[in-house]
Amino acid sequence: MKSVSNIADADAFYEAWIAAHEGLSDAESADLDARLVLVLANQVGELQVLLDCIAAARRAGG
Amino acid sequence: MAAAEVWKFAPEYALPVWPFIAPSDLGARERKRYPVVIAGGGLSGLTLACDLLLRGIEVVVLDEDDTVGVRGASSRGICYAQKSLETFERLGIYEKIRAKGITWSVGRTFSGADEIYSFDLDDESHSEQPPFINLQQFYLEWFLVERIRELDANAIRWRNKVVSVEQGSERAVVAVDTPAGAYALEAEWFVDATGANSRIREELGLDAHASRHTDRWCISDVRFKKPLPVERWTWIDAPFNEGRGVWQHLMADEVWRLDYQMDEHADPESISKPDIAGQRLRAQLGPDVEFEFVWIGPYQYRDHLLDTFRVGRTIFVGDAAHVVCPFGARGGNNGIQDAGNLGWKLALVVEGKAGEALVDSYTAERHAAAVENLRVTSRTARFLAPRSAAEHRMRRAVVALARNHAFARKLANTGRMAQANEYPPSPWAPDGARSLQNVALGSTTVTGMLAGATRFLGLWPGAGDAEVAALDDLARRLPIAVHAVAADCALTRQLGVAPQTLVLVRPDAYVAATLAAPTPASVEAALRRALALEETR
Repeated sequence: MKSVSNIADADAFYEAWIAAHEGLSDAESADLDARLVLVLANQVGELQVLLDCIAAARRAGG
Repeated sequence: MAAAEVWKFAPEYALPVWPFIAPSDLGARERKRYPVVIAGGGLSGLTLACDLLLRGIEVVVLDEDDTVGVRGASSRGICYAQKSLETFERLGIYEKIRAKGITWSVGRTFSGADEIYSFDLDDESHSEQPPFINLQQFYLEWFLVERIRELDANAIRWRNKVVSVEQGSERAVVAVDTPAGAYALEAEWFVDATGANSRIREELGLDAHASRHTDRWCISDVRFKKPLPVERWTWIDAPFNEGRGVWQHLMADEVWRLDYQMDEHADPESISKPDIAGQRLRAQLGPDVEFEFVWIGPYQYRDHLLDTFRVGRTIFVGDAAHVVCPFGARGGNNGIQDAGNLGWKLALVVEGKAGEALVDSYTAERHAAAVENLRVTSRTARFLAPRSAAEHRMRRAVVALARNHAFARKLANTGRMAQANEYPPSPWAPDGARSLQNVALGSTTVTGMLAGATRFLGLWPGAGDAEVAALDDLARRLPIAVHAVAADCALTRQLGVAPQTLVLVRPDAYVAATLAAPTPASVEAALRRALALEETR
């Protein structure tokens, strides 16, 4: 799993991510993120990397 | 108010009954010893008995009933997978199954009114047998009983109930009760095929680690005239079942199995009332389709798995050893695979042609398969019955994306169909073992080549006569027959092996080893390993 920055334009990505959630209820936002996880997971592909990503996200939640 | 609909019921199936015949052991002065005694005449027990009889091994099957199937029930298992069908081809009942059953290979998954996923199992099939045939379980058991009776009219002892088992180091003593009195017999190997509620397992004090699932379903087996495709259809969330799952499958005699997911708190008695079940069917089939019930049955899933499938001289097969959720037809088919795995091993051990450790390889391979089946079916169960708002959200995401994105379709999990499990590396198969489909080879097939004596096959693509002849001495000493096959054939295509690679095939049509540059010595070493014989002569 990559921990160093790999997103070409991090701020632009974050801006787009926020924009995608605009006008959505909490439930709709959560649904959107769930779909986003799946689409992104398919870009990554490799199972071990995905498992590492899940673990890292879970750890960061405290 | 419209008059309440009157529901029709088909007459119950008339199942065959076989007579109790007092066994010669009753009143005999000395306890008789048999090489193999099997308790339980269900799928796994009957398959094993038939397999052993064809290998020339004397078998006794003790069945406490005098018929097949489950009394009062239409059917349990319905889908028989390719590996099972290949086994039945070898046992000589495949043609009957094909003629009576429903051949299919396409499955479709729906969400609401939309198809979101489909598969065609023919795409990966090289076999002479189709990926699946649907057939009521009692027909299959019936065919097996008839075949067994052809081979040995007295092998199955009806209304012979196992009362107790006493384990010794070289045999088990089995106490049996019959309508004509009690007797005991000795078994070099005793096989428990008495199913999920095995009392033998309990008597030996074995913990099967049982657990129950909360998801609740209700089967309606129904006959109707509505032209539906002969495919496996599953709904994740059917509009005609209050947004819950539905399964739709055709069996023999134009009987459809419609399986409805229920509210987990539903009362099993009320959801299986004809009036309630009838309204469910009306909602699915529409107002004008006439139908008749064959059977209605509510159920909940359970699973269990023994730590080992061999304890002393007792061996567990089928549901006595493992039970999983029914998704993907991984119940009955794995009982049949247990039998296919065990039959040749017991035959060669009984005949002294293989080391006794080969019986332990049965546990190593089939326990690993059961663990895999448990994992696969548990994943399906979790997809079909989300346990939290977050899990519902994940499933909604899959369904939403599946409409336009191929990758998401593969995540829709309404059951992963039973396959011949791959076996992990073991002392008997250092590279593991995987099933060889029943491919055509010249004028015969793998199954055809395996028929008759219990022996391995050395299939050698592109080999010359002299090379094969160099293995004649080996074939005289050990159970193997070596055949040259075409350098490019269905075998090499299925396994992806290069010409000149010798493929060592076990009697259960699993590949025990592939030898890239075979010599008589390397073939013998691999064969001895697979037979659990000493490495040195």
